[in-house]
Amino acid sequence: MGSEAFRPVSASLASSGADDLLLQLAGVSKRFPGVLALDNVDFDLRRGEVHVLFGENGAGKSTLINVIAGTFPRDSGRFVYQGRDIGHLTPHQARVAGISPVFQEFSLVPEMTIEENMFLGREIVAGGLLNRVAMRRRALEVIAEFGFDLDPKRKVGELSRAHQQMVEIAKAFLTEVRLLILDEPTASLTEVEVVKLFDLVARLKRSGTGIIYVSHRMREIKQIGDRITVLRDGRKIATVNSGEVTETALVELMTGRKIDILFPKILHRPARKVLEVDHLTLANGTVKDVSLFARAGEITGIAGLVGCGKSELIRTVYGLETVATGSIRIRGELVAHPSPAASLKAGVCYFPSDRVGEGLALARPVRENASMASLDLPEFAWHRFLRRGNEKKAVQEVMEQLKLRPLGIERIVANFSGGNRQKVVLARGLTRDVGIFLLDEPTLGIDVGAKAEIYELMRALVARDNAIVLVSSELPEMLNLCNRLYVMHRSRLVAELSGAGITEEAVLGHFFQKGAGGENDAVPLRRAGA
Amino acid sequence: MIEAATHAGQRRRSAAVERLYRLYDAAGVLPLLLCVLILVFALFVPHFASVENILNVLRSSSFLMIVSCGQMLVLIVGGFDLSVGSVVALASVISAIVMAGLKVPLAGDPALITLLGVLGGLGCGMAVGLLNGLCVAWLKISPFMVTLGTMSIAGGVAFVLTDGIPVYGMPVTYVNGFGRGLWLDLPAAVYLAIAVVAAIWVVQNLTRMGRYIFAIGGNLDAAVVSGVRTRVYLTASYTLSALLAALTGLALTAEIGSGQASMGAQLTLESIAAAVIAGVSLRGGVGRVEMVALGSIFLLILTNAMDLLNVDSRLQTIFLGVILVLAVAAEEARGRKWGRGQR
Amino acid sequence: MASAEASLRPTRRASGGAASAWLRLAALPVLVVLMEVGFWTMQPDVLSARNLINVLQQSTYLIIFAAAQMVVILTRGFDLSLGATVSAVSVASALVMTSLASGGGSAAIAVAAGIAAGLGLGLLIGLFNGIFVSWLNVNPFVATLGSLNIALGIATTISGGNPVFNVPNALSTLLYSGKVLTIPVPLILAGTICLALYFVLGHTVFGRSLYLIGNNPRAARLAGLPSARYLVLAYVICSLLAAFGALMLTAWTGSGEPNLGGSLMLESIAAAVIGGVSLRGGIGGVIQAIVGGLFITMLANGMDLLEISGYIQQITLGFVIIAAVFFDRLWTART
Repeated sequence: MGSEAFRPVSASLASSGADDLLLQLAGVSKRFPGVLALDNVDFDLRRGEVHVLFGENGAGKSTLINVIAGTFPRDSGRFVYQGRDIGHLTPHQARVAGISPVFQEFSLVPEMTIEENMFLGREIVAGGLLNRVAMRRRALEVIAEFGFDLDPKRKVGELSRAHQQMVEIAKAFLTEVRLLILDEPTASLTEVEVVKLFDLVARLKRSGTGIIYVSHRMREIKQIGDRITVLRDGRKIATVNSGEVTETALVELMTGRKIDILFPKILHRPARKVLEVDHLTLANGTVKDVSLFARAGEITGIAGLVGCGKSELIRTVYGLETVATGSIRIRGELVAHPSPAASLKAGVCYFPSDRVGEGLALARPVRENASMASLDLPEFAWHRFLRRGNEKKAVQEVMEQLKLRPLGIERIVANFSGGNRQKVVLARGLTRDVGIFLLDEPTLGIDVGAKAEIYELMRALVARDNAIVLVSSELPEMLNLCNRLYVMHRSRLVAELSGAGITEEAVLGHFFQKGAGGENDAVPLRRAGA
Repeated sequence: MIEAATHAGQRRRSAAVERLYRLYDAAGVLPLLLCVLILVFALFVPHFASVENILNVLRSSSFLMIVSCGQMLVLIVGGFDLSVGSVVALASVISAIVMAGLKVPLAGDPALITLLGVLGGLGCGMAVGLLNGLCVAWLKISPFMVTLGTMSIAGGVAFVLTDGIPVYGMPVTYVNGFGRGLWLDLPAAVYLAIAVVAAIWVVQNLTRMGRYIFAIGGNLDAAVVSGVRTRVYLTASYTLSALLAALTGLALTAEIGSGQASMGAQLTLESIAAAVIAGVSLRGGVGRVEMVALGSIFLLILTNAMDLLNVDSRLQTIFLGVILVLAVAAEEARGRKWGRGQR
Repeated sequence: MASAEASLRPTRRASGGAASAWLRLAALPVLVVLMEVGFWTMQPDVLSARNLINVLQQSTYLIIFAAAQMVVILTRGFDLSLGATVSAVSVASALVMTSLASGGGSAAIAVAAGIAAGLGLGLLIGLFNGIFVSWLNVNPFVATLGSLNIALGIATTISGGNPVFNVPNALSTLLYSGKVLTIPVPLILAGTICLALYFVLGHTVFGRSLYLIGNNPRAARLAGLPSARYLVLAYVICSLLAAFGALMLTAWTGSGEPNLGGSLMLESIAAAVIGGVSLRGGIGGVIQAIVGGLFITMLANGMDLLEISGYIQQITLGFVIIAAVFFDRLWTART
């Protein structure tokens, strides 16, 4: 039951008649002010093939698919589509030609309705005015084809992320699709929806559609991809057949470094309970009746699908969400009204998943960012007057310890890579006395080398008797780092695993729990007549 | 049987109530408030309901309405237009100068004089609008600062051309026939305003441009990847705003009978106030022209009532400030209650 | 409004660090020098000692107002009511002073009361702005637009539209014509204010928080900084500084003027932004306000000496604003 999502695409569905080249890019380059996004990249796509674009954030994947979709022009190189040389390409022309992108987040206007979004840029017009009847009809047609439950009149901003993804897909299939681009499609889908997406992909392959699949999730790409092209720093590193390459090899290609051990061995020495949550329910219902605890000297994990409430749970402990009922105790003391300032004083620190949006002031130097959460301490400020000498010394020490590269605490944070930025965020836990670390997706979008360093930091923190509560969507992290693991599903706690009981099968099993009423919360993707 | 009937009756009632709720959610509190206000003032404010006063209010709100429609377009697209007041003045001055200057050379052809004057006024509006649009769309400069700059420039030019002195000499037919005339018992300006609101309504709801303006303001990236030529439509919005401001300047000039560089000083702030009261979001992507029309009338009825009650005009300024801020605060609170408005 | 390409392109680290920052800092002073030299070639008086001292004294006022705006612009807001506040404070304080002085009271008490009244009014306006922006989440544009109207209304109502004459000489001696160690009082006051602001911005938790709030309000909140309170304080400081500047101006003119604030809103924002305070928040400081204030004053001074009409000066200011913001955009495009 649990591993259905990861069954290998069977050989019979693999690309057949794959000798027709649908798309061929040769020597494509694209420069933006200050950044060479694509450097002489070659890429080709066969009909009926799933070709994965693999690489870290900033490797150039997004730029490449935008060039293919016509969002902006390339600077140089050949672009051959269906045997024809393409010069200038607009998004509209691309769609008419059958190139359909399904983007991760950029493509929907929240205040506009589903049908307005679907037709954006290619409205059906009669005599200069919009032909709303025709557009409504066509929209309903496409939606019915997929069996989505979408009402074209509703505003996109009111939909859940999964439904928004459906709108993106419907939008992509408004015109006939010969080349489908999927950009991180599973980021906000539940496992059940992922299965349905993969079924769709298989169907398209059979009908000869070429698919470019952008992802950095190892499991998926090995399952679904026929070939994998690895990009790094805007350059194509290699194109390999998916069946012939190992995960380790892929990671090494992606990072350019040899990685042997990724996860350090963590010695858990659980002591007293430092965090106790009792029957916690939030005002907005994203957490319902959850009770759990965390102890010093170990890593407690909270796993679950996107939207299960795990993030909201630790945010509530820190004081960022409103409690309806239930209690929170820190080191045995009841916390009636959690707030960031009070939490920090109590030694609890939250490290947000959206580090750019919630964790960093990009235009300010590292020093100011690292000390941001510690300005109430006497070492950093005497009666609200900054002690800049102390601050400088303290931050310098901490950033050395965290191996900030390059080590310049006066440089502005915007100039650093994702991994280093996360180190700046983590620094706040070291510039003050923090005993309880609430980590929310700490390694999201970070290269493997930096990941290893962060895991090492976690090991060191546990060794010093701190408590870590780790919220993550990356299963390998949870399996390898946590001593105890909770699983949440649709706002509720469904499992508490510990020690040897933490296995992939057990966790995934709980991911697929049916809802309280027995219904499956995912939207069924009924295939008409298939 | 009886139970079934009552149940059906209850269901039908809640459907109607449901529709009322949806209407309220869509239209906001403004239409209701406006009706209440009109009723209250008609009953308690002397002369409010007199024909002369109603005509006055209609005429004044027409001017504000036209400018506010333009301001709305720019707000929807995510910007600001601080220059509209100065464009009103500039159009006033230029049209008056052109018409006065042609009075002798083209004597006997007041239609042509009028036409050239109007073209001159509209033309300078278009020039300012284009400048605003190009700077915002192509040079990617903050609309606040750009229109602050063009506000200075346009205002300065108007004063340089006139030295602060009103410009007389426009054709009599223009002033009496259009500016001060009554067509079918209503001021001509009202028809102009109705035409403008209707045209903008068509654009907003029935054309691609209308959709694209919402898209650009609602999510610029989405517009770009969907192939919308954002820079073109951005420029078009600012140009239209200035054009409408110029149109207002022309109408005002016709009514007053002279071109004045001091015209329209309050209109910038009032047009933003009218739009904001009408639910146009300062973050862009939201706004309806019907509401803006109501918002303009709302503002004007308030000032009119205060005038009739002999409230000092200086105190009125204070009132307007308070109302503006309260209206937006209320809108923010309403938005948050419905779960929107994340920062 | 972010550029779509900037959002769609890869999030690679921006190149160019210290070098371009220094270039940016030096750009405007260099421009000032060039401009002055340009004026000098057309009108040698520009660089005369008497004129330079004159300009320096004149610029103190705009520098104070630019610094006031800067405090609020740092938090990604702005204060449209600054000019109106100046008018209202001028009139209110003058009224208090003249009514107390004419009643036969001592000039010193009248002046003290007037100053207190003026600063008090500034405090109230600042609180209004701060509360609406910070607690009620109203857009700063709208909130300060509202207070602009209110302050303007107050100014014209209590003055009846006319200047308030016969302000006690003591005020002028105190805030305008006096000298301390041969340095004119306005310069000392402006200098003190700038030094105090420099210290607050760079060496207090409050100052540091302003930068963080401006650059990323959510991050500031998450880090436990009392952002709501500090934001109110920022607007209060801005209006208080504006009030103080108004008192200094009133000391200069010798009367309470309901139109004193005239074009100050425009000029103070222009000076701050031209000087390098970014409208996007989190960037800028006292130096930027000083340089910006100097630039605008010198520009006006040069044009005055060239006998360019006030209207044309207004047009020039408009072009300068657009150019300045364009260059600001160019420089910050990389981050």
